[in-house]
Amino acid sequence: MSTEQLKTEAERPVAFTVNGQAWRGWVEVRRTLADVLREEVGLLGTHVGCEHGVCGACTVLVNGQAVRSCLMLAVQADGCEILTVEGLSESTERLHPLQESFWDHHALQCGFCTPGVLLSAYALLQENPQPTLEDIHEWLSGNVCRCTGYQNIVEAISDAASRLSAEKGGR
Amino acid sequence: MAQAPRFTGQRIRRVEDPRFLTGRGRYLADLEPLGTLAVAFLRSPHAHARIRRLDVTPALQVSGVAAVVTGADLTEANIYCAGLGGQPYPPLAVDEVLYVGHPLVAVVARSRAQAEDAIDAVVVEYEPLPAVVDPVEALAEGAPRVFSQAESNLCFHLEHTPEGLDALFAEAACVVRGTFRHQRQTAVPMETRGILAQYEPVSSRLQVYASSQWGHGLRDGLAKALGLPQSKVQVTLPDVGGGFGAKYGVYPEDVVVAWLALKLGRPVKWVSDRLEAMVSDFHARDSIHIAEGAFAKDGTFLAIRDHMISPAGAYLLDGSAAVLETVIASLVLPGPYKVQAVGFRIDGALTNTTPLGTYRGVWGPAATWVQESLMERAASELGLDRVQMRLHNMVRKEEFPYASCTGVVYDPGSYQESLQTAMEAIDYPGFLKRQREARAQGRYLGLGIAAFVEPTSLGAWQPEPPTVPYESAVVRMEPGGEVVVQVSVNSHGQGHETTIAQLVADALSVDIGKVTVRFGDTAAAPYGGGTFGSRSITVGGGAALEAAGRLRDKILAIGAHLLEAAPEDVELRDGTVAVKGVPARSLSLAEIGRVAHWVPAKMPSGMEMGLEASSRYVPPPITFSNGCHAAEVEVDPKTGRVRIQRYVVVEDCGVMVNPTIVEGQIIGGVAQGVGAAFLEELGYGEDGQPWATTLMDYHLPSVTDVPRVECLHLETPSAVPGGMKGMGESAMVASPAALVLAVEDALSPLGVRFERMPLTPERVWQAMTATRS
Amino acid sequence: MKPAPFQYVVPESLEEVMDILGQHGAEAKVLAGGQSLMPLLNMRLARPAVLVDINRLPGLDQIAVEDTAVEIPCLVRQRAAERSPIVAEELPLLREALRHVAHPQIRNRGTICGSIAHADPAAELALVLVALEGEVVAVGRGGERRIPANAFFRGIFTTALEADEVIRSVRIPRRRFSGQAFREFSPRAGDFALVAVAVALDVDPQGRVQTARVAVAAGSDVPARLTEVEARLQGAQAGAEAVKAAAAQAREAVQAGSDAHASEAYRRHLTEVLTEEALLAAMATTGGNVA
Repeated sequence: MSTEQLKTEAERPVAFTVNGQAWRGWVEVRRTLADVLREEVGLLGTHVGCEHGVCGACTVLVNGQAVRSCLMLAVQADGCEILTVEGLSESTERLHPLQESFWDHHALQCGFCTPGVLLSAYALLQENPQPTLEDIHEWLSGNVCRCTGYQNIVEAISDAASRLSAEKGGR
Repeated sequence: MAQAPRFTGQRIRRVEDPRFLTGRGRYLADLEPLGTLAVAFLRSPHAHARIRRLDVTPALQVSGVAAVVTGADLTEANIYCAGLGGQPYPPLAVDEVLYVGHPLVAVVARSRAQAEDAIDAVVVEYEPLPAVVDPVEALAEGAPRVFSQAESNLCFHLEHTPEGLDALFAEAACVVRGTFRHQRQTAVPMETRGILAQYEPVSSRLQVYASSQWGHGLRDGLAKALGLPQSKVQVTLPDVGGGFGAKYGVYPEDVVVAWLALKLGRPVKWVSDRLEAMVSDFHARDSIHIAEGAFAKDGTFLAIRDHMISPAGAYLLDGSAAVLETVIASLVLPGPYKVQAVGFRIDGALTNTTPLGTYRGVWGPAATWVQESLMERAASELGLDRVQMRLHNMVRKEEFPYASCTGVVYDPGSYQESLQTAMEAIDYPGFLKRQREARAQGRYLGLGIAAFVEPTSLGAWQPEPPTVPYESAVVRMEPGGEVVVQVSVNSHGQGHETTIAQLVADALSVDIGKVTVRFGDTAAAPYGGGTFGSRSITVGGGAALEAAGRLRDKILAIGAHLLEAAPEDVELRDGTVAVKGVPARSLSLAEIGRVAHWVPAKMPSGMEMGLEASSRYVPPPITFSNGCHAAEVEVDPKTGRVRIQRYVVVEDCGVMVNPTIVEGQIIGGVAQGVGAAFLEELGYGEDGQPWATTLMDYHLPSVTDVPRVECLHLETPSAVPGGMKGMGESAMVASPAALVLAVEDALSPLGVRFERMPLTPERVWQAMTATRS
Repeated sequence: MKPAPFQYVVPESLEEVMDILGQHGAEAKVLAGGQSLMPLLNMRLARPAVLVDINRLPGLDQIAVEDTAVEIPCLVRQRAAERSPIVAEELPLLREALRHVAHPQIRNRGTICGSIAHADPAAELALVLVALEGEVVAVGRGGERRIPANAFFRGIFTTALEADEVIRSVRIPRRRFSGQAFREFSPRAGDFALVAVAVALDVDPQGRVQTARVAVAAGSDVPARLTEVEARLQGAQAGAEAVKAAAAQAREAVQAGSDAHASEAYRRHLTEVLTEEALLAAMATTGGNVA
């Protein structure tokens, strides 16, 4: 293949599902998934805190896996299913048990890291509904919070796990 | 108050949380008016260099670029930042760059990516010049000068030797000394700084949105820099993702962006990325204390001498660490102890580094470390128990208000009780036993104690205070009976929408759901000093309480008039005005509201229509909170790594409006203290290159680094309405000292003393190795 | 912090990748999991003219067990490997090391081969590959070649890969050790290690060390085996005495670097501490006679 034959467009068409809704558009190839979720899809709950994969504020689920949306190009999400913080609760009145638990435990202060923390916690509980303290620490070590000192976040995740398993057991 | 408080003191879930939990918080980066242009800055890669050639024409050719401006463009327009040092402070470097990260060119383009493309295209030739980064070296004879035309790098000097100081040292049974170097840090709020400015030329109105802790200050600063009337500049703060002191003030980027909006007539926005944040947010701390303490034979703390040396960076800022950290330290160095004299000398030096400003706990982490280290060292030299010796020296309950030899007055607190409570909680005798047993097994357990005072809620703390000495609130009741509170303080995580609502709901005897707290817009909020220095709930909340009290009186007067009762015979109760003892004779607040807004004929004669009251509350000069931290650690002698086994905090911040939020501040503050004590360091090489320019290199505490914090509370009410004291910084003030001293205690068989933070595993290991050999 | 412009191509076969790389050479960069490359792109420290996204290549995301080796193709995510029964069974050392690689959110996307190709001298996976005598299967226009791990890493971020080559897989011999262990010391959980040590041992029923592998990453340019230490261990009676001597020798033998994160002296010291811990742990898992 020669250079001429390369797809040299600065933009490419992308289609993905986000929070259950189909999205389709042309996207500049160099843009990260985080930027496109925010600026094109309009989902501003995904926050950009460092753009080098350390802080975890931009964490979203791609095909069920928690990933840094700043370390993925939007064009790479073509065909994927994405979950952002806006998709966690069915409505703003009815919060997800994780969100309820974060609220009850004062697990957030400025709120900037919160969406990424919630999605990490969500992915953890999907994979491991009854995590040990060590499991929670392993996942949460991938998210930086400057306000809370983490203690209430750990408690909130642990409590949410109990709530979710009680909910499941009750059904 | 007619009723016992329903909300004040309760662990109420925060009103603001649902929007943050659902991703509906709106921060600066989320705002994007149609046609907004993005800004990127070209920043110096050199610590000090002459700009030999600067060619921006290639940048203008880059797709999407709207404008490229240089330092000369701004100085020609006479645009400068405010600085303290007497040096003109151009927002973009002119002729010379003075530190790594110094901005010299701004590009405006359709997207941030395009602006960065254009930055890449700018041609600069630098001629490197000698740089100086260490404040001691900067003050030495013959040091390279940051400003070549200046005589020296000395930018701030203050000294005071009280009468009798030398005599106290001469007669002391024991003099202990130490050098204490607090490393350079930066606050690292998770949301970086940012600003969006829009100019409307017909009415010449500048609308600014910013991630800031102080809207009015930013407004005043921009108005001054741009030569606009304050009334023509409106600053609106969206949700702010943390500040910790780094978002207090006017930065060069703010001035550049606002000026670009004026020049271009389009919305212009800059959101700092993390790389530029690490070199352009205020750096903080980085002070050296060379201190000595004089003690009598019985352990009485007699006097302190402290020589403080601090770099200012390339410019001496309004809130410079070189001034604030050191001057406040000079006032509060004795902490909770009675000392007869404090002598000090402060030297601030310009250096080829990012300018230093404020970070949570200004003065405290270093000064508490000095204060508690002198105490520990003296106890050890005199062979006294360190707890007993602290108790012996503390200001006692009956001695308040206590006038410190430094000139500040301590309002009542619980100094001895805090220490005793902490020692009970950590089981001090049990610890000593555990420590002995551990030592016999070759293990190193240590207990660190940091008893502290925190000067909070600054009012008129100097005859002409450098900070706004009051806060304001306007409380109004709408015709429907709902209450809106406008305050001059704003939240960047502290929960004002909840805590101030708790206070006002109780003051007006309404449900908290009826109270909405608003802040952050200079066009709507009354003037004030914004959020800094642990004063929102005391000064801002105090203003809200005062205003709500005035409104309450008016409501009662109207209610009494309508109920044909004497004002002293009616009371506010559950959203009604009722005759005392006759609940049937009552009126709803909605009815009062209707009359007050719509029916002049039914109002008491001469009374103004409407239900609104305001307050500008000037608190006492300083309100001191106090407490004690106790940290138990174990040092791994193989690696030098420190594990925090237990962490106890006793906090006395007066009346707590919401204990959950108080504890959130404490736990978060301890985490930042862990960062200071063990992890975070913004080092510079001798060439002036910073070592930590990413979050890979600047080690913020993660969940596995922080302890579980046990919080205990004491409550000595203050003189402010509601009896609250500030506390947002206290945990940051005390925790580094507690942790460092815990490590020293663990290693006391080796006689290890630390002269600098952070205590990285390598430094601990080196210290152990050095004493062993 | 936005990437500089690049051409973006999504080849559908390895042949296509080789063609593109052959044509563009060093101007092209392969994007796999992106957990090392994307930060560099965002910071504009990497500015490839062509970004070759191999994530859509078919059939390269499953770990396979062959007669003599386990093959890990280039699209196997680190998290998948960590949770793979094959890795648990065949490569316990790799599994242990993977837990130290960054955080789950990074491992979900990062690939094993991508980490190897990036060649960060502090990376856990490079060290394991060296310890286990794995090889890199590189494909280029000149065909396929297998490069032993110890020849693959040439320096900081530098490998034996030619500009037109891409890693198709790494192969790690199926070689059961009686015990193995991985130890590292990093500033915080998930950080790159200041020092990491990987050991694998065979201990005979009499408690004698038959073979020993000791590999260390200690801030020098490449992770390396400590052959002198291995030689000393060979034939020694497994136990605290031999371990102590080996660890002390490791301290002297290691190539330790000095940088803003740690001094050479501290890295030597940590090498001794971690080597001791790792050897003892490996011996404890052998179930053999450890004196």
